[in-house]
Amino acid sequence: MVDEQDKKIISLIQGDLPLDPSPFALLAKKIGMDEDEFIDRIKSLKERGIIRRFGATLRHQEAGFNSNAMVAWLAPDSRIDQIGKAFARFREVSHCYHRAPQRDWPYNLYTMIHGSNKEECYQIADRLSRSTDLKDYELLFSEKEFKKTSMRYFPEKTHEKTI
Amino acid sequence: MNETDRKILNEIQSDFPISSQPYHDLGRRLNLTEDEVIEAVARLKNEGIIRRIGGNFNSARLNFVSTLCAAKVPEDKIDMFVEVVNDYPGVTHNYLRKNPYNIWFTFIAEKMAHIDDALKEIAEKTGVTEILNMPAEKMFKIKVDFEV
Repeated sequence: MVDEQDKKIISLIQGDLPLDPSPFALLAKKIGMDEDEFIDRIKSLKERGIIRRFGATLRHQEAGFNSNAMVAWLAPDSRIDQIGKAFARFREVSHCYHRAPQRDWPYNLYTMIHGSNKEECYQIADRLSRSTDLKDYELLFSEKEFKKTSMRYFPEKTHEKTI
Repeated sequence: MNETDRKILNEIQSDFPISSQPYHDLGRRLNLTEDEVIEAVARLKNEGIIRRIGGNFNSARLNFVSTLCAAKVPEDKIDMFVEVVNDYPGVTHNYLRKNPYNIWFTFIAEKMAHIDDALKEIAEKTGVTEILNMPAEKMFKIKVDFEV
């Protein structure tokens, strides 16, 4: 679990680290903590898996991944685990989740796939399909990005909405 | 993007040093000076290749819940719907996709009840009632660093 000090640290490192030779010292100062403790606490958050990853987030489109698609798959319930694990092994797959179908939306397995263009995304989806014998799927390319941001956990200003 | 940029990008996505002088330490790993690393990172940020440097959290471990939502929104309501949805800080991603379910967004909150309430509120404000709420039942993969 995280304590109040951890929450303050999280609120400071969920944005963009200041580009300074000693960025953690700068942030630690903001909450009156010494740098060593600040750093040790970040390491502990990472060790405990609360920080999944600490580092740079790239804009994929500018980093050579010009196309990505969400692919929604219809898998037999008995094979979801096996197929999810198989999809996860593809290097072109960045995310893979099982979600329950809802109303008129039957799909129950989701992958994000990345290629250099749309055609390559179709080819990747086809490879995934053939490797698992799943024929029922839809590629959902993003036509427009309306929002892409990182979650702000524990906003410093308590009057801010938390949802 | 040159070879040095590539080396730096591959290094700092997952192995950014959590240390007193991270750029100095990166420089030692990559045979560069601290100034060279900082200059390259500044440029890669300016060019928009690096979006940010910081922590990425496992929301479940922080006792937050997350879900993927999809809505069927009539063409002439898209702008209004997106404005209402994006106003929630817990909505972190929102895309237009070519499908009858055309608006897809992710929602993170402390409790699923908050998300359910927000979705009801969104439906009331926008008149869009076909909104799916599909929390993950199981996660098989989250890969967040890419070799460049």
